[in-house]
Amino acid sequence: MRFQLTTCLLLIGSYFTIAQTRVENPTDSILAQQLDEVIVTATRTERQLSSLPLPVTLVGKKQIIKSGSVRLNEILNEQTGIITVADESGFQGVQIQGIASDYILILIDGVPLVGRSAGNFDLSRLTVGNIKQIEVVKGPSSSLYGSEALGGVINIITEKPKTEALTGNASYRIGSFSQQDINLDVKQAFKKFRYGFFANRFSSNGYDLNEDVEGNTVNPFTNYTLNGRLYYDFKDNLSLFASGRFYDQNQDAGFTLDSIQYQGDTKEQEWNAHTRLDHKWTPNLTMAYELYYTNYIATELLADPISTAILSDSDFNQKLFRPEVRGSYTFSSENNTETTGFQNGTLTAGIGLQLDELDRTYFDKTVNFSSQYAYAQYDFDPIENLNVIAGARFDNHSEYNNQFSPKLALRYQLNDNLSIKGSIGYGFKAPDFRQLYFDFTNSAVGYTILGYNVALDKLKELEEQDQILNVVVTEDDLSKPLGAESSIGYNLGFNLKHGRGNTEVNFFRNDFKNLIDTRIIARKTNGQNVFSYVNFDEIYTTGFEINSAYKLSNDLNISAGYQLLYAFDKQKKQDIKDNQVFVRDPNNGQTIALSQTDYFGLVNRSRHNANFKIYYDIPTAKTNLNIRLLYRSKYAQFDTNGNGLIDNYDSSFIDDFVTVNAAASKTFYNNFTLQVGANNLLDYTDNNIPTMPGIQGYLKLNYQF
Amino acid sequence: MTKNILAVAFLAVAFASCSNDDDNTPAEPIQTETVSNLYAPQTGGQGEAVGGEFAKFDFETGAITTSDTDWDLAFRGTTIAINGGAETGTADEPVRNGDAGVAIVTGTLASITTADGLSFNQDADAAFAIPTGSDNGWYNYAGPPSHVITPIPGKIFVIRTTEGNYAKVEIISYYENAPAEPDAFADATPYFTFNYVYNPNIGETSFE
Repeated sequence: MRFQLTTCLLLIGSYFTIAQTRVENPTDSILAQQLDEVIVTATRTERQLSSLPLPVTLVGKKQIIKSGSVRLNEILNEQTGIITVADESGFQGVQIQGIASDYILILIDGVPLVGRSAGNFDLSRLTVGNIKQIEVVKGPSSSLYGSEALGGVINIITEKPKTEALTGNASYRIGSFSQQDINLDVKQAFKKFRYGFFANRFSSNGYDLNEDVEGNTVNPFTNYTLNGRLYYDFKDNLSLFASGRFYDQNQDAGFTLDSIQYQGDTKEQEWNAHTRLDHKWTPNLTMAYELYYTNYIATELLADPISTAILSDSDFNQKLFRPEVRGSYTFSSENNTETTGFQNGTLTAGIGLQLDELDRTYFDKTVNFSSQYAYAQYDFDPIENLNVIAGARFDNHSEYNNQFSPKLALRYQLNDNLSIKGSIGYGFKAPDFRQLYFDFTNSAVGYTILGYNVALDKLKELEEQDQILNVVVTEDDLSKPLGAESSIGYNLGFNLKHGRGNTEVNFFRNDFKNLIDTRIIARKTNGQNVFSYVNFDEIYTTGFEINSAYKLSNDLNISAGYQLLYAFDKQKKQDIKDNQVFVRDPNNGQTIALSQTDYFGLVNRSRHNANFKIYYDIPTAKTNLNIRLLYRSKYAQFDTNGNGLIDNYDSSFIDDFVTVNAAASKTFYNNFTLQVGANNLLDYTDNNIPTMPGIQGYLKLNYQF
Repeated sequence: MTKNILAVAFLAVAFASCSNDDDNTPAEPIQTETVSNLYAPQTGGQGEAVGGEFAKFDFETGAITTSDTDWDLAFRGTTIAINGGAETGTADEPVRNGDAGVAIVTGTLASITTADGLSFNQDADAAFAIPTGSDNGWYNYAGPPSHVITPIPGKIFVIRTTEGNYAKVEIISYYENAPAEPDAFADATPYFTFNYVYNPNIGETSFE
């Protein structure tokens, strides 16, 4: 007892000491001073953000907290050129440089997350409660990360404990639609041992945007995230990192169809286990040995409670196992005076193995992929003020062609205030399990979708059952392996410091080829078609992004961002030029050839996106106020007039809109912070944007210890 | 439309006046017509076996017919048959006893001025001359959420009829009363509305 009391007193004592010596930093600037931050995603080594030759967006913890974000999609959607949008499947994903979610890799502490719905990674799966920072590298990064890193990489970095005192926070937030968010984050660091524990519960009663349609737009759900992290320093130069993460969500999936009230749930579960041994062999050589395993499970069961007839019963179980070894060696000349030249650089290289497995409804059996990869990158300054990063990665895959992904990036510091940077890189995405192994027949309509690798066999089965009228492709067409989707991305920009401000401009272009889409491979006797996947689409996205931040005073930061985007299908553009695409004018019923100016581009792409943010600190009152305005110009959801593309005559356009988010927080008694805020203050809603409810107010109390 | 009829009438008069001297069977004027709400139901579908009589259309009379021989096009659901070639094998289909054919041309209805030089296809075992399926023959099916069936703009069907005349056809709508923006949940199907231009002079390929 006495011992415990002493410990307690000691703890309290040290706590007060820490609390008193803690440097208050009320003038934290999250917008203008970011440039000194260190990020790891772009090079797999620690690099100062301002020195990187690549377009990078960094979102720090303070910005996340001040903005009152609880899920990852909310805070990312406020960044220039990063847009969350639901595609035609109804699932939400993130778009970067006009590139859809399918082609954007999501990492936690450098290891990939799996579990996508129709190619979309749902960012609302991730809580931001224990994030140190979010690093977004735009443009292809397959030279380091392999498949899926065409449009960019989003890497979520968790916080490493730093102090011997127990630190952390506990918070409770309640908001509109009975949305509740509860967080507990605990961290502690001893001499050799550090740990972090995080728990989050997030729930909502859902909402209904359209009273005329029966049922809710979003059904009630509850989810939990648990994350434990251990750090152990065996020696000064040898340390272990281990992290376990668990996510569980249960959502009511009940709905009414033909006056039957179906009942059931959608469940999601995710496990991540990540261990890494960091070994500093010499001051110049560090190695990392990493093991990673993840498992994502989604199930849905819907049944009529009276007749017990099952409407839908689906399973999805994906596993990934990935060991990787990587190292970084810094070459330096004997006398250490020279830092430029080819001989003074950092070589980063790694090899790894990736095993994927998926078992799901509409697959005959569990399918497995395996791939081996190796990458290398050299980061050096050939002359003063010029930084060059050259790298490449080779992927050998069991199911598709080997991929070689090179990348070159340069940055030149013209003077103290102006630097220019440019990069060119290759990105690819392996055909996914669905595109290769799907075997699905829609019971209501009668069409069939077959994965490419099973199409021939399944077609024969259907023919034997006399379900096939005729096959419209040759056997040869289905025998060549499906190719990986690929892109080449170009980025060119500059960074200008001007007084208390900073402006960054980046022009981008991404050329995609071999995009996989469905086509008809056979006709069925029931009048429907058999579809399979094929490489054929070529698209491009191009435009520019500008970000300007200005520190009006120590306490007042304003920033503005804008992205211009053009995203088109190359073949369709040519068809329009050749007068092969037509449109029926709804006003007079006349059919006319579509003019080139009336081709709007790809679905879900807005030409203009802009944001404007003000963050204001009042240090004397320990208060922060902020307001963020987001603008999105009109975009179309699908073709409505039968010509297979989005043109100005289509009627599925969502008009341009502005959303306004604001938050105010005040710290009192040193440890308590009260936050009041509202997202979507203008109460903008559209029945066609089911992921966006109206105004959502919230109140949050946080205890920092 | 009025303009078209005037133009046709003018052309017809001009043509008639030219050919009066050397031909004692004056050419008949080219007919520009719209057929509205041709009802072509089918049974089954949605995964069940498809069946039901086709609704047959004859360009010579410009009307629906029940004749087993004097028809050119026949409609059932989204399927269109032509009276030429062989039976495809689908249930309840009409016997092909004519020599009609169809050429699918890309353009506006007005831009197709002649049937000269086109190659005409006919129905065959397991294959319709006007292919079935979305984005393949005459329509696009939007899928969820709208589920709308839209005729592909710019697909013109040039028809050689059973009598050896030529017609060009543009399908306008699959929904009753051809709403400009149909609602797949509210508007009734299958009601074909199509525009056509028919040259009643046997063997003449011109549409002007």
